[in-house]
Amino acid sequence: MADLIVNGQAIPLDEDGFLEDTELWNEEVAKALALTEDVPELTEEHWKVINYLRDYFAKFGVAPMVRKLCKDTGCDLKTIYELFPSGPAKGACKIAGLLKPTGCV
Amino acid sequence: MSEVRIPYEAKEKDLKVMHVGAVPAEERPKAALELLGEMLKYKRSLKLYLDVCTHCGACAEQCHSYLGTKDPYNMPVARVELVRRVYKKFFAPGRSFLRAWEGAKDIDQETIDLWYKYFYQCNQCRRCAIFCPKGIDTAEVTIAMRELLAHLGLVTKFHAGIVKNMKTTGNNMGTPLPAILDGIEFLEEELKEETGLDIKIPVDMEGAEVLFNPSSSDLFTNTDGFMSVAKIFHKAGVSWTLSSRIAETANFGLFFHEPTMREHNMKLMNAGKDLGVKRIVAGECGHGWRTWRMFTDTINGPLPFPVVHLFEEVLDYMRDGRIQFDKTRNPELITYHDPCNYGRGGDLMDQPREILRACVQNFVETTPTKEYSYCCGGGSGILMDEAMEIRMALGQPKAESVRATGAEILCAPCAICKAQLPVVMNHHKVDVKVKGLSDLMGRALIL
Repeated sequence: MADLIVNGQAIPLDEDGFLEDTELWNEEVAKALALTEDVPELTEEHWKVINYLRDYFAKFGVAPMVRKLCKDTGCDLKTIYELFPSGPAKGACKIAGLLKPTGCV
Repeated sequence: MSEVRIPYEAKEKDLKVMHVGAVPAEERPKAALELLGEMLKYKRSLKLYLDVCTHCGACAEQCHSYLGTKDPYNMPVARVELVRRVYKKFFAPGRSFLRAWEGAKDIDQETIDLWYKYFYQCNQCRRCAIFCPKGIDTAEVTIAMRELLAHLGLVTKFHAGIVKNMKTTGNNMGTPLPAILDGIEFLEEELKEETGLDIKIPVDMEGAEVLFNPSSSDLFTNTDGFMSVAKIFHKAGVSWTLSSRIAETANFGLFFHEPTMREHNMKLMNAGKDLGVKRIVAGECGHGWRTWRMFTDTINGPLPFPVVHLFEEVLDYMRDGRIQFDKTRNPELITYHDPCNYGRGGDLMDQPREILRACVQNFVETTPTKEYSYCCGGGSGILMDEAMEIRMALGQPKAESVRATGAEILCAPCAICKAQLPVVMNHHKVDVKVKGLSDLMGRALIL
């Protein structure tokens, strides 16, 4: 997929539009990724989810189970889908700069 | 390559884990011919299926892939013809002018492109085999051809990624052990909060009676079902454990790479042996179950213990009176989706229905059902996002059969089906919730 251009810097994306290199994530990158996911603006609620995902990823190297994400952020699944239309495993993880969850999901 | 293929191809570096290298494009036709020749020597079913087709077309209208996509290459007869025509030219007995008359064709790069495209639009569901008067099972041909493609270095990015995750972490999602343990601790707290009971989820408990092997998605998205299993073992008073080395009943090797299937089997067998369990219980996964039931003992056996399905285990508990269900807790109208590899590949059709009769109030069958049931459209690992348009077409016949029932809940006890069907139902505007059978058992279980 074409690179994501953020402040003049080219950030490589994989075919699914996820970051090739998760180290290149920052808040500006998140905002640019959000636009690719039909999320025009990142609100405080979005950031609550993004920051939770990033903390978990830093600790464990993967996304948390969806139930845990909901419980710990206080956002039920419906809210997560409202915030990130393609869902917790795709939109939310992409914007938060995580690897794409794969398998039977 | 100028054009991006759907599904995306794995890059060469991602193939190393399977010990295959990428054959350069210009050498592929020659290499493919050699591989086909080798395969015909040891895969008698492949040779038979290529020989006996009479082109009667009985399979065409029975294939959900053709019904959904209307692409003539997706008729099973035409899909297999993509290989048969090469077989006729180079390997079949008979005089050469007759071979040309039978559609024999040389092999070129375009043939290989068509193989990649159409053998990844077959869900290996085996419905065609039910209707073929000669008993031709296209799934077997698809499995063989994907294996051949893998030896040419043509594997989907999705399948290769899963093999890599399985090797590094023991599960398809690539979840490392600390994350699994964190998730399990969380689920134990959830169980306590919900039931007030100390329901444990043991890991690596030596001497446990049962090693339970879930799908890794049970620890990510389908946690209700997983928690239900913990409740059932608790209530039945059975000592059980997970293994830290493997938490995956889905065995993607079956779909395209036998050495991977073999290695995955071995991992589970060794985990069971080292823990000293009496049996392994497989969780909700269609093709994984087909692998354990139909292939593991033959390929990796003899096994020192049986591998049984969760539903068989639960039926034993029910018959022994160790657990009871209150079906009023599942009052909705519920229908059942037969995962292809249970119904047509794993001898598991009546058992889930017996459980359903005990734990739901209103049950309705789809038409067609049981061994005639349509695939969800995600079978054989066609779950990649880039194939979404094809996936929705593949799921269309199933969507219509579910719509006709008017059911509120669609019980689909397979991890692939659970990933595919909600998207399919939403796409085709069928208002139904998709749940595993474990979820329904958990709701109805009297603790």
